[in-house]
Amino acid sequence: MTAPALRRSATHPFWQAVGILVIAYIVVVWVVPLLPGSAIVPKSVVLQYMVTVLVGVLIYVSDNEERWARFKEPIEAVLAEPRLRVVRAVLLVVVTALVGLVAYGQVATTVAAPPNLRSIHPAPPAEITFRGRSITLTGLENPLRAHPESLALYLAEGKGVYYRNCLPCHGDHLDGQGHFASGFNPLPANFQDNGTIAQLTESFVFWRVAKGGPGLPREGTPWNSAMPKWEDFLTEREIWSVILFLYDQTGWTPRTWEKTGTGDGGRGTGHD
Amino acid sequence: MIDGLLVLALLAPLVPRPPSLVPLQDTTKGKAVYVKWCAGCHGDGGAGDGPSAAHMLPRPRNFTGAIYKIRSTASGQLPTDADLMRAIDEGLPGSAMPAWKGRLSDGERRDVAGYIKTFSAFFADTSQHAAALKFSGEPGGGTGAAALKTGRQFYDSIGCRKCHGDQGRGDGPSAPTLKDDAGFPIFAADLHQSWRFRGGGSAADIYHRLRTGLDGTPMPSFSDLIDQKFLTDEQLWRLAQYVRSLSPPDPPEVRDVIHAPQIAGPAPVSPDDSAWARADRYWFPLVGQVVRKARWFAPAVTGVWVQALHDGHTLALRLSWDDRTQSPDSAWLGFEQRVLETVAGDDSGPPKAEPWPDQLAVQFPRRLPEGSGGMERPYFLMGSETDPVYQWRWTSRPRKSVAGLARGIERFDTLPGALAGQASFDHGEWRLVFTRALATPDTANEVQLEAGRAIPVAFFGWDGSSGEHGSRMAVSTWYFLALDRPTPPGVFISPVLAMLVTLGLGLVVVRRARRRGTARAGRQR
Amino acid sequence: MGKLGAVAATGVAVLVLALGGWMRAPLPAAQGGGTISGKVKFTGAKPAMPKIDMSEEPKCKAKYTAAPPTDEAVVVNANGTLANVFVYVKSGLPASYKAPAPAGPVTLDQDGCRYHPHVFGILVGQNLAIKNSDGILHNIKAKGTKNRPFNISQPTTMTSERTFTAPEVMVPLECNVHGWMHAWLGVLPHPFFAVSGTDGSFTIKGLPPGTYTIEAWQEKYGAQTATVTVAGSETKTADFGFAAK
Repeated sequence: MTAPALRRSATHPFWQAVGILVIAYIVVVWVVPLLPGSAIVPKSVVLQYMVTVLVGVLIYVSDNEERWARFKEPIEAVLAEPRLRVVRAVLLVVVTALVGLVAYGQVATTVAAPPNLRSIHPAPPAEITFRGRSITLTGLENPLRAHPESLALYLAEGKGVYYRNCLPCHGDHLDGQGHFASGFNPLPANFQDNGTIAQLTESFVFWRVAKGGPGLPREGTPWNSAMPKWEDFLTEREIWSVILFLYDQTGWTPRTWEKTGTGDGGRGTGHD
Repeated sequence: MIDGLLVLALLAPLVPRPPSLVPLQDTTKGKAVYVKWCAGCHGDGGAGDGPSAAHMLPRPRNFTGAIYKIRSTASGQLPTDADLMRAIDEGLPGSAMPAWKGRLSDGERRDVAGYIKTFSAFFADTSQHAAALKFSGEPGGGTGAAALKTGRQFYDSIGCRKCHGDQGRGDGPSAPTLKDDAGFPIFAADLHQSWRFRGGGSAADIYHRLRTGLDGTPMPSFSDLIDQKFLTDEQLWRLAQYVRSLSPPDPPEVRDVIHAPQIAGPAPVSPDDSAWARADRYWFPLVGQVVRKARWFAPAVTGVWVQALHDGHTLALRLSWDDRTQSPDSAWLGFEQRVLETVAGDDSGPPKAEPWPDQLAVQFPRRLPEGSGGMERPYFLMGSETDPVYQWRWTSRPRKSVAGLARGIERFDTLPGALAGQASFDHGEWRLVFTRALATPDTANEVQLEAGRAIPVAFFGWDGSSGEHGSRMAVSTWYFLALDRPTPPGVFISPVLAMLVTLGLGLVVVRRARRRGTARAGRQR
Repeated sequence: MGKLGAVAATGVAVLVLALGGWMRAPLPAAQGGGTISGKVKFTGAKPAMPKIDMSEEPKCKAKYTAAPPTDEAVVVNANGTLANVFVYVKSGLPASYKAPAPAGPVTLDQDGCRYHPHVFGILVGQNLAIKNSDGILHNIKAKGTKNRPFNISQPTTMTSERTFTAPEVMVPLECNVHGWMHAWLGVLPHPFFAVSGTDGSFTIKGLPPGTYTIEAWQEKYGAQTATVTVAGSETKTADFGFAAK
């Protein structure tokens, strides 16, 4: 296509509309998942977005009489002009075939894995029993932080605990990609991600470490989680020290009770 | 001492010095990176003795000897900087070493490569520096029958089978005696799992390993054989290509749902029935049981291939997995003892090697999940006291299959009635077929295998000769099994109708547009 | 009795080969000079060495018609002395001492799925010719720590050569195809070393005058040292004794 032809197309409402739709699709399908903390957009959601964009575009082009007429030009040309007979035929066949395929896909359903509706950070209990001792989680801070002079010691201890216990699943980089991670679904938590420990208070993390998968409420799909119940392996101090290590190694700061208030039980607001 | 130095000085000019391959490495920064990210496994002093080391097999590299498996240099020579960077960047598949590219910056990785060289005096001695071997390019036709035949010929003639076994699953006669330089037990590689090769799984990677050997392991270099004209460089390539051909072309992808097509004949009961050719193979990785005591950090069964077929009445499930031994095998008792001594667990001392059998378990919930969402299931790790799971269990000795309820790892109650299971062992591979009626009378305990439903399923494997039994096993979480129904002809009606309507509408729109166009043209004229 | 005889015969065979290997090593530069000789005695019960099962290699197994081969970690001679003890000058050579240019290779033979010799020495820079007389797959792995290691495949009758760059006592050599195959190599910057023979004796010749620390190394029992002063061309005696453990 020559430069003037390109420029003509760029100002033509029909090609503008096509361009906007293509860009919207690229953004939703490829760009959004690249944003930190995002995941691949499900197909149904992509469809919703695309319909919204299409409606917006149609409102825009039909808003002005002249623009609407110009918008329709290429469409009418393809439908009517004798010189575009081949394009017309191809279009008819392709559209028909597509409709057939989509219809077949709708009817011939195959069994898929049921959706895993899982709450990643379910509400914690206000109180837990740790090795027979009751611990109140609400308002609880990491007791080791009360001794800043010994922090280096606690961190070294936490590092040892991590490498002896957590590493196979949560990995060398604490990103949930240890050498055993591939065997588990859901994947082990990624502590480098801003959606895990960065959103939580240390008391929440303590609860999750101490009680593991079996201690999750139903919305956390406890039957799937391979997270051990660490109170069977670690002491209270070891758990607090490994929590220190998680924050220190990733560079995140835990949420504090002042920031989150006491109402949401230590979960990050605006999450899940 | 003086004389040694003299000789070194005399020899120094004879050793070619490689050009510097990477920019200057800042070992001070490298040390900071090392201490933060590497020391947990490799130890503060680089001796491969960090806090996690005892939970690993293979153990983390000990940098103090400057002996590296994956190199481009001749046997025993120091790696090049590019070799070290590759190990750091790509990691060592099949081990606990991850790929650090994307996790650490380019500078951090380069500096830490510089720092790990400071653990050994060999790197400081420039006379020890070695250049990469000159590798030839891969000859074409590597997947052809003639090439593979040549490759197989040399597989036999240079004695690969001694360790890797006749079919390459690491089950050769010398395999149970193998130790690495530190005296730890080491498995001869299973050549059917190229995605776990430490230095990469391509034919070129394999060729490079044949040329260089894997230092610190029993795997020797074969370069001398080319020099002595025992084989040609091309023939060594053919060997590499043959080894590559033993694994699937691509690493297996893990899919959530096993589809069991419906077949007309009776569901096959034998693992070697020709009907299995019609069923897709699904790969499920298994990993160590590290959730409950006693944990197990060195699972020997790395995964299981699953196929499923049904005939409307009976389900046949075929499981195949690589296992070097038909356990119990007395030849492997010494190896088992060394594994148990090497891999730390929750016991105060290493358990004693015993002739355990091989085992495999397939797990289902007792009943299919019901209600909204329909996703609730028993605990993946063999259920619990209150919510048991229904399992099929097979053992190699006594050779039998049973169905029963597991209530946690410790408790298994056999259900009455036999479970049909047929297994065969062939050169390091178990092939096992379970068959069971889709519907059974005991609907309370035995899952009813309904077609068209996503049936939760999980797998567990034990290699007796690695000391695995009880909680020392390889596990998976829940996946799904779906019994497909044949596509009824009715399914085709609506798509055809939809197509006809679309085509008709399209034609109408075109005709109207053309009429309008003609009318407009007429008016303008 | 027959068993003992066979062990002795094997011991003799090993020793002959060991000496053969050593004899091919270059002789000391200074002919004449001092000599240190002695015996390596053994006290206590002779340890029973485990039999080696070579069924996997019929070709090797066939070479042991009289009695099955046994492990060579401790070889006690008929006269109650120890063979295969590496005796060498550990320190004491004058700073001016210059090692002779290494000439001719030292040969290590793989025959009957065993190494011949089992314990031997070599000079820094001298060629080690590794010969496979069996014609079946061996790999030869050197596991030094001061020297770079190597691990070569020899699937056929062939000879490979390697050298060592630094003194090291001892470099373990092994075959991984045959887990029982072990040999020990002492790499030295001088030729003043010997291996005790079938009568437990050793001789180190051609020493410049001086006071030397002599070490005797045995693969199972470790090392012992003695201090010996030699002047002119005199012969001094240094005996060592190892006790059963």
